[in-house]
Amino acid sequence: MTKILFSDKLDKCVERWKSAGLTVMGPVQRANIKTYAAVEHASEFDFGLILTDRSIKDLFFPQTEPMLRYTIKKDAINTDECLPPREQRIIFGARACDASGMAIDDPLFGWDYKDEYWFQRRNESVIVTIACTNADEFCMCTSLKMAPDSTKGSDVLLRPLENSKGWQVEELTERGREAFKTIADLLQEGSDTAAPVAAVAEKFDLDACVAWLQNPENFDSKFWKEISMRCIGCASCTYLCPTCHCFDIQDEGDTYSGIRRKNWDSCSFALFTLHTSGHNPRSTQSARWRQRIMHKFNYFPSKFNANSCSGCGRCSRECPVDMGITETLQEISKLSQ
Amino acid sequence: MSIEEQYRKRAMELLSGGAVKMVIGYGRGSNAERRRPVFISSPEEVNRLVLDEACIANLSGYLVNEGLLSDEKRVAVFLRPEGIRAINILAAESQLDAEQIVIFGFDVSGNEVKALKGIHVEEFEDVIGAIKEHAPEMGNEELLEKIEQMNPQERFAFWKEEFAKCIKCYACRQACPMCYCRRCIVDSNQPQWVNTSSHSLGNFEWNIVRAFHLSGRCVECGNCDRACPVNIPLRLINHRMAQEVLKSFDHFAGMSKTQEPVLASFKKDDSETFIL
Repeated sequence: MTKILFSDKLDKCVERWKSAGLTVMGPVQRANIKTYAAVEHASEFDFGLILTDRSIKDLFFPQTEPMLRYTIKKDAINTDECLPPREQRIIFGARACDASGMAIDDPLFGWDYKDEYWFQRRNESVIVTIACTNADEFCMCTSLKMAPDSTKGSDVLLRPLENSKGWQVEELTERGREAFKTIADLLQEGSDTAAPVAAVAEKFDLDACVAWLQNPENFDSKFWKEISMRCIGCASCTYLCPTCHCFDIQDEGDTYSGIRRKNWDSCSFALFTLHTSGHNPRSTQSARWRQRIMHKFNYFPSKFNANSCSGCGRCSRECPVDMGITETLQEISKLSQ
Repeated sequence: MSIEEQYRKRAMELLSGGAVKMVIGYGRGSNAERRRPVFISSPEEVNRLVLDEACIANLSGYLVNEGLLSDEKRVAVFLRPEGIRAINILAAESQLDAEQIVIFGFDVSGNEVKALKGIHVEEFEDVIGAIKEHAPEMGNEELLEKIEQMNPQERFAFWKEEFAKCIKCYACRQACPMCYCRRCIVDSNQPQWVNTSSHSLGNFEWNIVRAFHLSGRCVECGNCDRACPVNIPLRLINHRMAQEVLKSFDHFAGMSKTQEPVLASFKKDDSETFIL
């Protein structure tokens, strides 16, 4: 017997969580975009999506957020620090790749300076992941040694039932158990079997790729130029990526008042590393693409012991010129044979 | 011989004889529906070239990549009529020398791909003239009509919702052959003319600045629309601006390589006095 949450109870659950003061969020389709957003009713969720266009990162690390407001007067300078509004949230129906992406970034946002914006939202959120039973040709979690039902970063894992009537419930963390206590009477014990998880083909040999990337001789390989020749240098891959985390701090305003903001930034942009002198250490698009790959599979793991990629495949799925991590690592796999 | 075979053969001849140093065309993509840009520099590789109805992207933007044409050698490129118009504009705006560009022209209607006769940009003026008279359908006429029917408040609300999705990834700019500025106004930070933040004001600023900058220059290839990862129908804005320019100045962008840019030229007898 396992704990089961039947779909027809979900609307009651949403109500229950809302009245307990939680904002309920999940995958929706709105204004011709698939994204995670707050809902009023369970009927707004779209669990049929393989994956949202935008990643769950948006909910923890928004594209722009205020850090500081300032006013400067003749005799006084005033600053007000801004933190995200306090909000307890439950994100219902995340994907395993998105949830694990957040766990991948936790050590990054906490290794020296503890990023309050990130951790406040992380601590105030419960992630309920639904294991995937469908995948598309861009999904690549298994190539990253993860799976459609990985538990990393999730507080609760749900497995869709074979009869499509609901989900088996596996509470993983204290935070998850706490949130599900609120709906304990809406869960049932049952023996319904879970549907098999999606079959996601392994697309490259990750260990071989990492070894190739770690070899200093390959830093100047002509491979980088060839693979990225068609890259147009937009930030579609980095901004849709659940684990890409670079940001820029910008002041908006004038001498007398304004606001300091934390904005997404991308290693794809030429401006990203441009020095004041005019010198750019990453002067070509191939050097920028190499940086993205090296960062994810060489530098980041050497520091945090995990690859900075959770295999969602959005980079390849959405690339305007059909590039992406999958193709690059497939080609590196071939080179390292 | 199919057009794909004809163009592979032509590419082979041009590369073997040294007439061009590179052919920019389409190759197979990561799934059956996708095509991706390929850069062919040796005759042995011409079989990578694919030409069928899925070859949609306008490849002309690659021609202005830094350094590509600076050795004065020729480059061949696969182009639909919109791409050919883009070559004219780039030449008219002194971004390239049209003599260096060898065109593999083609057009797609339905599932049929047909070759366009000619090699040099001047040879396609009739094709372009015909488009000016009868614009091909974009496939989003219904939405366009709906927006036309809206009052200004409704239209503002529509675009507000669309721009709210913008994340300033600048895929529209990077995919656009007309956005060739080495340093875009939004990347100029001494001073920072345009806010970099992707909030409602910032998103409006960005998308409107770009729309104005493309007025009278956009060839409606749809690269921006397809590149946008958050599905903003950007093409509609540029289409509307192109219509305005056509109506007001009888200017259809990319007619010839000597056509004066509509918003960067003036006449002494212009009825408006403010500009002088």
